[in-house]
Amino acid sequence: MDLKFTPEEEAFRQEVRDFIDANLPDETREYMKLGNPPTKEMTIQWQRMLNTKGWATPRWPAEWGGPGWSVTQVYIFQQENQSAPAPDPLGFGVNMVGPVIIQFGNDEQKKRFLPRIANLDDWWCQGFSEPGSGSDLASLKTKAEFDGENWIVNGQKTWTTLAQHADWIFALVRTSNEGKKQEGISFLLIDMKSPGVTVHPIQTMDGGHEINSVFFDNVKVPAANMVGEVNKGWTYAKFLLGNERLGAPRVGASQAKLKELKEIAQKRIVRGKPLWDHPRFRDKFVEAQIELKALEMTVMRVLSGIEAGADQSKPDPATSVIKIKGAQMVQRMTELYVEAAGEQAAPWIDDEGGNALVGPEWTVRAAPNYFNFRKSSIYGGSDQVQKGIISKAILGL
Amino acid sequence: MNFELNDEQRMLSESLSRFLADRYAFDKRVKFVDSPAGFDRAIWQGYADMGLFALPFSEDEGGIGGTAAETMLVAEAMGSAITVEPWLEAIAIAPALLKAGSAEQQAGVIEGLIGGEIVPTWAHLETGMIDRGEGIQTQENGGKLSGAKTVVTFGEEADLIFVTACDASGEVGLYMVRKGAEGMEARSYRTQDEQRASELTFDGTPAEKLTGGIPAAEAIGMAEAKALAASIGEALGAMEKAIDLTVAYIKEREQFGRPIGTFQALQHIAAQAVVEKEQVKSMAMYAALMCEEEDVTTRDLALSTAKVKMCDASRYVGQMSIQLHGGVGMTMEYAIGHYFKRLTMLEISWGDRDFHMDRLCDAGGLAA
Repeated sequence: MDLKFTPEEEAFRQEVRDFIDANLPDETREYMKLGNPPTKEMTIQWQRMLNTKGWATPRWPAEWGGPGWSVTQVYIFQQENQSAPAPDPLGFGVNMVGPVIIQFGNDEQKKRFLPRIANLDDWWCQGFSEPGSGSDLASLKTKAEFDGENWIVNGQKTWTTLAQHADWIFALVRTSNEGKKQEGISFLLIDMKSPGVTVHPIQTMDGGHEINSVFFDNVKVPAANMVGEVNKGWTYAKFLLGNERLGAPRVGASQAKLKELKEIAQKRIVRGKPLWDHPRFRDKFVEAQIELKALEMTVMRVLSGIEAGADQSKPDPATSVIKIKGAQMVQRMTELYVEAAGEQAAPWIDDEGGNALVGPEWTVRAAPNYFNFRKSSIYGGSDQVQKGIISKAILGL
Repeated sequence: MNFELNDEQRMLSESLSRFLADRYAFDKRVKFVDSPAGFDRAIWQGYADMGLFALPFSEDEGGIGGTAAETMLVAEAMGSAITVEPWLEAIAIAPALLKAGSAEQQAGVIEGLIGGEIVPTWAHLETGMIDRGEGIQTQENGGKLSGAKTVVTFGEEADLIFVTACDASGEVGLYMVRKGAEGMEARSYRTQDEQRASELTFDGTPAEKLTGGIPAAEAIGMAEAKALAASIGEALGAMEKAIDLTVAYIKEREQFGRPIGTFQALQHIAAQAVVEKEQVKSMAMYAALMCEEEDVTTRDLALSTAKVKMCDASRYVGQMSIQLHGGVGMTMEYAIGHYFKRLTMLEISWGDRDFHMDRLCDAGGLAA
């Protein structure tokens, strides 16, 4: 057991930090520092910059353009990139569909899609949830029927994040109604420009447009776009969700936000003295730090296990713990920003830059981020779904 | 960065767990906690024979040079069996306090500790203590101690008592008192978690000052840090076992015609307990690694962080274990209540949640 990073790892951290400092546009850094999610252009620009170093796909094998990093290096990279703050490489491509194609796709699919995922030439979105299939994902109804040449897709996906930017969608589709519901699902790659695909925006309560409904009306999808075996899509989806869970907590981002919150609290005068000197606030801040340290240690413990070759076929109880606590952490942080903003969290700011600012710039995103991040304990398997996994897979209940 | 155990560490953990499964089954434990001494010296000797007490000492000192990781593994196994002996005093506290002494003083005690002939304890707490180690009233004068100490673990049974006291100039020092020393009186009692403790009073009690090593204040800080780290490992072991016992119980217990473990309301409570326990596991490792950090501020803040997390988790896991057992969880007969009680006592020892929150808040939190 050893907590310390090796000199080589520390040197690697410095290399990453130097690269970010030299190449991350100030505009992107400043925009994200204010709590804004990066724009499409910012994400593309930064991912392409990372890709020039081969750093856009940290966990991919070297054969497919990954940097061949240890899990510790991946962790250090993410920590530095998130705390800059810089846009994450697009998760739907790099962490979700990419690894599925690498693991289960054929050579043609790998050659066709992987380089474009790495360079963000294709923006991917995730077609899993449906209006009637949320936590019970396997009940999904969007169907794909083979006409001898193409899969003909009909149905509706929902909560599709950033589908408005997407060139491609990876979708779970029903290809059989025989047997168990999990056994009739396939993993299909669909070009968003195909005739019959329509995207409808869904406005969230924070006023943002992040999620969408995606409709499929007799959409023709070439047989070559089926990943792996027909009716085995559930297996691939579970693989994908496992990867998603481990990346969920964004420890580096939370560390940067907490550091910033302390600076804010030291400057902000509330009822005659700095917010930082209010013991109730200080307690909450320290409790958030404690939670974050516990989360960080748990993430590192799981990564260390993976590095040491832990059996990946059995569920590690810590990954569901990480999903639950990671969601709570980011939510807690957004609550603290609202509390720090106080009444100045009130003005509604629309996309056109609507209302005049009443407080420091960071107050603008305080309330919208709080409202928006209620999503994190719902998506990727809600807290309750994770507890179901823990009680069945770990406790055998 | 590496959280993995090596083969020797794994073997240590397994052999101690086997020993405890054999000698410390719950029905056997009940018998010796009722004995007059409150613990079984044969088991103490068993620990010594396994080399547990040699872990904290270097090979030069006659030990086997274990690290904080080994201490954590021992603590976890001990917590899992809710053992009652002052093993923590032997493997975490005494070795740290002894560093205040000269080489001869250390050598004079280490052999007896390693061999299991000396059962040590630490008379540290006082009712008027302001902070841990601060505000000590017990006085040393001309090699003799006067004062009163509270809740001294196995204070009457221990062979060697380390005492924190102030000398005439007001400086805090460490002193060694032997069992049965003149002018020492013990008022002993059982504790909530079936250990024994004593109120010790000293009235002109002859004591040997530890001197010639590191400053006493440094040794005290080190002992507190190591004890705290080990107690988090112990709490982890107790939580793991409490969850195991509870899950086994709700799989068997039937109501409404089916095992109560099939009800989602109970499943989610048990799952939350796993969430809490897994975080304590991470924090026990963090504490084990950080308790040897040379910068004492960094060390203490890290340990406070781990302790607050442990307090919250202990309370959740302890309380849910009783709740899910229902009525039988309330009984002395079932093991679960004993785990709950031990977890509760661990929460309040080595600084409670408020103490550690204060320490963190006063420092402005952890360094980023």
